[in-house]
Amino acid sequence: MLTSAFYFIAFVTIFFAIMVVVSKNPIHSVLYLVLTFFCISANYIFMLDATFVGMVNVIVYAGAIMVLFLYVLMMMNLNAIAEQKRSVLFKISAAVTGGMLLLVLVAALKDANLQIQGSALEAEQRIGSIKVLGYVLYSKYQLPFEVASILFLVAMIGAVVLGKKDNSTKTIGIEPVK
Amino acid sequence: MNEALLLMKPELIVTVIIFILLILHVARENSSPAYLLNLINGLLFINFLCGFFFNREGTLFGDMYVTNGLIVLEKNILNLGMLLISLQATDWLKKKDFIVEFYVLLLTTLLGMFFMLSSNNLLMFYLGLELSSIPLAALANFELEKRKSSEAAMKFIMSSAFSSGLLLFGISMLYGTTGTLNFAQLAMLIDGNPLQLFSFILLLAGFGFKISAVPFHLWTADVYEGSPVAVTSYLSVISKGAILFVMASVLFTVFKPLVETWYNMLYLLAVLTMIIGNLFAIRQQNLKRFLAFSSIAQVGFILIGMSGSSQEATASVIYFVLIYVFSNLGAFGVIALVSAQTGKEEIDDYKGFYLSNPMLALVMTLSLFSLAGIPPTAGFFGKFFLLMAGAGKGNFVLITIAALNMVISLYYYLRIVKVMFMEKNETPMEKLQISLFPRISLLTCMAGIILIGFTTLLYDYIFSLSTSF
Amino acid sequence: MSEVPLHHILFVSTALFFIGMYGFFTRRNMITMLMAIELMLNSVNINFIAFNKYLFPEKMDGIFFTIFIIAIAAAEAAVAIAIIINLYRSHKSIDVEEASEMKY
Repeated sequence: MLTSAFYFIAFVTIFFAIMVVVSKNPIHSVLYLVLTFFCISANYIFMLDATFVGMVNVIVYAGAIMVLFLYVLMMMNLNAIAEQKRSVLFKISAAVTGGMLLLVLVAALKDANLQIQGSALEAEQRIGSIKVLGYVLYSKYQLPFEVASILFLVAMIGAVVLGKKDNSTKTIGIEPVK
Repeated sequence: MNEALLLMKPELIVTVIIFILLILHVARENSSPAYLLNLINGLLFINFLCGFFFNREGTLFGDMYVTNGLIVLEKNILNLGMLLISLQATDWLKKKDFIVEFYVLLLTTLLGMFFMLSSNNLLMFYLGLELSSIPLAALANFELEKRKSSEAAMKFIMSSAFSSGLLLFGISMLYGTTGTLNFAQLAMLIDGNPLQLFSFILLLAGFGFKISAVPFHLWTADVYEGSPVAVTSYLSVISKGAILFVMASVLFTVFKPLVETWYNMLYLLAVLTMIIGNLFAIRQQNLKRFLAFSSIAQVGFILIGMSGSSQEATASVIYFVLIYVFSNLGAFGVIALVSAQTGKEEIDDYKGFYLSNPMLALVMTLSLFSLAGIPPTAGFFGKFFLLMAGAGKGNFVLITIAALNMVISLYYYLRIVKVMFMEKNETPMEKLQISLFPRISLLTCMAGIILIGFTTLLYDYIFSLSTSF
Repeated sequence: MSEVPLHHILFVSTALFFIGMYGFFTRRNMITMLMAIELMLNSVNINFIAFNKYLFPEKMDGIFFTIFIIAIAAAEAAVAIAIIINLYRSHKSIDVEEASEMKY
């Protein structure tokens, strides 16, 4: 049952992902991407036992980042302007190059000797538990946690600075738009 | 506890400076720019001095953080470059509103590089890399009203996000085949199966983007041209230097088992990078863009050094980056002065530069000579050691190509010198005021270029430290 | 549950990665390009989680790497959006081909 569900979800994920990159209207792209993220989260929660990551994925990606994108797109009112397309030749060459890389990787995956290390049994209870995750995050992963928090602070400062208007260069003025 | 504080000293000092600036900004909103700049440069000088005392070796946080003599030296080089750039940028920053924000962003990238250098784990490496590249994108957009500046920032963040995507995919494959993120354990578990080769290629592509090796260099020239001069010099010296240090340590520790494989890849990258960088540098009209391509060509030489055997390679790369800090910042210091006071950045604007500003023209000439590798400047010795390290493997085709490229690079560096000294200009540049801070910075660069050329003690010192690798 | 072979999950993630790559190269709208990058990052996340669950269940390195990737992707997207808005103010467009002030 779950196995067939996996194949269904996998198929839907790839379909939505393709729709993200081919749909003409950027708003549609965002909505398809939200659907893709939901499918991926379902995959995490039901197939891969990573409940916490699945929830975070929904909250952060589908909830925060995608809403930000949607907000910006609507604020700029870009859905009115049809995006210009690259030439067909360019697309075909991109697809062929990407496809060849994909083939190489899939071949490498098949050859790779991926074996289970450690016991899967005890881990199943541990892996998704938020309690264990929290404990490890604040002990073993303390330093990365601090570094990530500095990164957030600075990303916020950077975004705020970019949003401000610089008063000092007013004498030079805004360069005219072509 | 005390030991732990001393171990993490460089990171802690930078963090403290960041928070001093933030608190100062909130507490005293109307401090004058001159006061702020004096304070910040003073703090950076203290930071640089502190790098020489109380250095410890050891690890912290499990395997997350490691430091030793070599890493401390690398951090000191970055601190020195940071101080020089900050001194050079004073003229430009005086007219800006967001001085504190500028320094907070800049220092965080430095902090990210420190964590990246000290990382012993792929997770810390990735976090350090992102911490050092995301704020830089905001910095590239610091001339908010300029179209070129936001274009540069956009190109930078897009290419850096794409390259970290590649890097991460490589890391995930590496994790899948070995089950660890620790550098030392990875080195033992890598056996060269196809998936690991693929992940290595993705990692190399990620590194290639960050150090702008051909064919991953396309963003470089636009970003360098569009960003403010201070950010351009930071990108070309500090950012590139840090990534080169880390690349050397990743190649020689993690991918040691694959050395036969990556030697050929580095060979190809080095040759392509030198040739393409040189050919495009010849035809540039904008001085920053010209230095962008010249720095691409320099990366080609550095990659030759890196292809040598581990000890020589590490020592020669670090030695060259130290010299590169002095020579490139000498050139960028002059450009920063000219750009801040006149707004001119084209090569043609520098016609007759010698007649109006003889000292600056001399500084520029000496820096370009050092970049070109003309004896007796330090640049000659830097290139010499790089080529020696590369020749250690007995690949003389590579060395011949490098020597030919040095001749080509002579042509375009000398072209700038000729423009400054020989050509007439109807509207010559006025005499520029050189205030104290840029003067100190330029004098330090000149001293570095001349003095390092006459002593080999420094190289021996770096070489002895490299054994700990 | 573990009847699904690891290779099949990895195939899905790899396909997502290359769809993202294709989108990054062929789209000209900067926001769509960013979305393509998010797709690539998500495929990496699937890789990490799958490897962690199937191969190395006793350690949680993969899960934590994923959490940090998600966090950093958010920060990166915020800065990138700020830059794009700034670009839109001056260029009145978010087409990458319009951002061509500088040429060789």
